[in-house]
Amino acid sequence: MKGKELMEYGPDNSFLGRGALSMTRMPGATTSQETEEVARIVRLVLGGETSSFEHLIARYERRVMTMAMRILGGRNDAGDDARDAAQEVFLRVFKYLHRLDLEKPIEPWLMRMTINVCRDIGRKRRHHQSTPLESAPTESLAAGHPADPFTGLAEEQQRQLLWKALGSLSQNERVAIVLRDVEGLSTAEVAAVLDAPEATVRSRISRGRLKLKETIDRMTGGTL
Amino acid sequence: MSCAFSRELLALHVENDLLESDARIVTNHLLECAECLVFLEQLGSRQVQLKLLRRDIIHPSAIASMRREVLSQIENAPKTLGWSVRLERTLFMGFRRHAAVFTSLAIAVVVSATLFAQMRQAPPQTTAKITTPVAVFAESDTLVRPDGYREWISAGSSIGPGVASGPHIPVNASSGISRNVYIDRLAYREFSQTGKFPEGAVLILETTRAADNQPIALEASVKDNRFDGGWGFFNFTSADGTIDARAQSILDKSSCRSCHEERAKFDHVFIQFHPVLKTAT
Repeated sequence: MKGKELMEYGPDNSFLGRGALSMTRMPGATTSQETEEVARIVRLVLGGETSSFEHLIARYERRVMTMAMRILGGRNDAGDDARDAAQEVFLRVFKYLHRLDLEKPIEPWLMRMTINVCRDIGRKRRHHQSTPLESAPTESLAAGHPADPFTGLAEEQQRQLLWKALGSLSQNERVAIVLRDVEGLSTAEVAAVLDAPEATVRSRISRGRLKLKETIDRMTGGTL
Repeated sequence: MSCAFSRELLALHVENDLLESDARIVTNHLLECAECLVFLEQLGSRQVQLKLLRRDIIHPSAIASMRREVLSQIENAPKTLGWSVRLERTLFMGFRRHAAVFTSLAIAVVVSATLFAQMRQAPPQTTAKITTPVAVFAESDTLVRPDGYREWISAGSSIGPGVASGPHIPVNASSGISRNVYIDRLAYREFSQTGKFPEGAVLILETTRAADNQPIALEASVKDNRFDGGWGFFNFTSADGTIDARAQSILDKSSCRSCHEERAKFDHVFIQFHPVLKTAT
């Protein structure tokens, strides 16, 4: 598990594997090796070995769930939503596994599906829930907070402020900002995942960053 | 900020997201504008803060519980693929491409022979029974205009004496028009049985001249989870008013999707205007 965590993320939890969107490969493995390995697992599952699907989940679960949490807003119930989202993503993957082009990397497909599922959850949330997006968190499924209580408190407040500001963006802007600035994908990679022109992605990122700055400045009086 | 220089460019320059030519313009401007330099530094510090969110990671126990739930749900899935999935897999995907060509040819020969035999033995049927999805894509985002959509289920029509304005009214419409919505039979059957539009459902909005019933605009929406919101939108109407054989998906959110998302009563479809669909729910 430890090795897998290292291969998925860099030291700052951003994605590794620029240019190929291959964030879960073994150290030293190429994109095609990763694709072949995924293809091997998929063939086993499609051949009736349903239990092999667990290997596919194990490769991408942390990736999918973290991304879902970031898109859904990192708030208290985002953890539950992220778990529901990841669950739905993998059930859809299982259902539509036969449509996967085994000669191409699975990641863009998986990320696109995650984004679509998060959009559906966001829509349901707007329809069925009165809780605003930026509600204050209580207990999160997120881990990794610092041990020092003072540093921890300041950082926690800062994080909440950032999530709140992110929540003020439109869905398209938030997804673009999360993928580019939090996940650490390049604009070309974001465009590939969203299946959108790079110019459109740049425009969403640019608008998103300006709105974020404006919102945080307004909330803090520019002191943060 | 009093400087009128583009803040959008600065917001991209802060993470080197600009094209080289634009980056040069920004760099040159920053050499002579202290105000923009300060703004860029502020943006930079916001970016540093934003990266703090990378520290939020999911707790392993939450991941494990999600995995257990997925595995328990797929445990009872059929161990072997259904024939339709096998066929789709064999024909269209990266599996056994050579075998796919031969299989396709074999199927084409069998289907042609069967059809030929039926044509010789039975009189032509007026209404075809549709059993396969009607959305055919030439490329991943290019829909082929469905033939025979007027034979589908008519979801509703409206006739206007003159030219109105609206998102689906062609600008060159010069006399009374009629607007007809059709839904493919398979999708209608699924919808009336389950209350949900199935993957691959196609709805056609055809605008015709009332005088001769000729189409002057043709648009389609396809339920397909590859597109944002699970629906793809297509306009077959060309600029000169003719109807094209193919249409690319409309990516611009403001054109179709936002309106269908916000105002349609059910799953991007304006069933509130289509009694046939409204009663089916």
